[in-house]
Amino acid sequence: MKSRSAQLLLTIICFILGLLLVAQFRTQRMASESILSASSADQLIIISSLVENNAHLREEMEALEGQRDEYQRATGRAVLEALVEELNKVRIVNGLVEVSGSGVEVSLDGPIGVLDVQDLINELRNAGAEALTINGERLTLYSLIASTEDGVMIVSGTKLSRPYVLQAIGQPETMEAALLRSGGLIATLERNYEGLAVSVIKRERMVLPVYKGAVEFVYASPAE
Amino acid sequence: MKFKLDGIARYIPILMIALIFGVLLGLQWKSPPARSTAVPGFEHESGFLAINRLEAEQGELKENIGRMREQLDEYRRELAANTEMLKEISAELERQKMMAGLLAVEGPGIQVTLDDSSIRSGAADSNEYLIHEYDLRDVVNLLWLAGSEAIAINDERIVATTSIYCVGSTVMVNDTRLSPPYLIQAVGNSITQEDVLRNPGYLKEIKQRAELYGVQFMVNRIGILTIPAYKGGFPIHYARLGE
Repeated sequence: MKSRSAQLLLTIICFILGLLLVAQFRTQRMASESILSASSADQLIIISSLVENNAHLREEMEALEGQRDEYQRATGRAVLEALVEELNKVRIVNGLVEVSGSGVEVSLDGPIGVLDVQDLINELRNAGAEALTINGERLTLYSLIASTEDGVMIVSGTKLSRPYVLQAIGQPETMEAALLRSGGLIATLERNYEGLAVSVIKRERMVLPVYKGAVEFVYASPAE
Repeated sequence: MKFKLDGIARYIPILMIALIFGVLLGLQWKSPPARSTAVPGFEHESGFLAINRLEAEQGELKENIGRMREQLDEYRRELAANTEMLKEISAELERQKMMAGLLAVEGPGIQVTLDDSSIRSGAADSNEYLIHEYDLRDVVNLLWLAGSEAIAINDERIVATTSIYCVGSTVMVNDTRLSPPYLIQAVGNSITQEDVLRNPGYLKEIKQRAELYGVQFMVNRIGILTIPAYKGGFPIHYARLGE
């Protein structure tokens, strides 16, 4: 009996021990599980910080996009292109670039004075000549046209020999009509100079070289 | 002792069973739901998904920002290059505009005044008493020869496309009607300019008409002249750059 009761007691003790063991184990599990479940709150913190952070990132992105738009405007490709176009146009006017195009070729064979050649150049300009040469010398605003005592024409320091051939780029028909009209300059020249043969030929395409002279401003400066 | 041990050893299986039974019973006893500490209405699973999604979004945003910053750097370099180019082109354009007569200029120079004669009719042809467009042309050509750097007639700047012509008796410069007196102003070395203008070998006709018929031809050196800019355009429709 004594051993039986001791046996029972031991059994009960072991049973309780087992329960306690499980309880202990469970408490531990519960503790770790409570961390896990508490991370639901943490999750919310993580989420809210992520939401906030992403909002900042989106703001940053928008700011950068704004910058990009500004750069795209500021790099000013359009402005640059417009400037280059204007520059090229003024260069053509100044005779500093080779140009090609349609126009007329005027040949003057025979005696002619330098002032009359200048009148002819004036007439071509009046008829819309955009670029001019005489015997291959590009004529610009600064081209000096002079003649020696014995009537040899000098353009920008180069002596020209006859026949004088002027090439003008522009509307061929307009220039031809202006030169050949009755009572026009060529008619006058042919009347004034005996033995002067003038011919006007329309050209579809001519290539005019650059002006060889240099332009330097010593006395003139941009006005305020 | 041995007996006693034997006695205990005999109980061990029973003890083990009791222990296991206790453990099983303990396991059987359900713990209260562990979610009691969780935020109400919040699903653990969907929270996890949200985090994943947000992190993916964050990654994408960061990548985009990185890419955008690289692009901006490129723009910055391009802008710097373009700004440099813009500066060069602008400077070149200024030079070219100066040459073309698109800028007002100032400097020393000469002023030539030409006017019709106050005597309107006389023994000679009435043309002898007037200043003609070719007179202006001759003076302008001579002024260029005398080294002038900028010329204007009655404030009309002489440029590459300028023609001086007449319609009836009206003188046109840059397609603008001018009326006498004609004031031709030219910036340059005024001494050279005056010498050339007064040289009897030049402008013989005008000088003769001045003497005989009273047309006005006056030359004055001026300390500082201001020549206005050309205000017209340069219509370029037929000339193309290069071959």
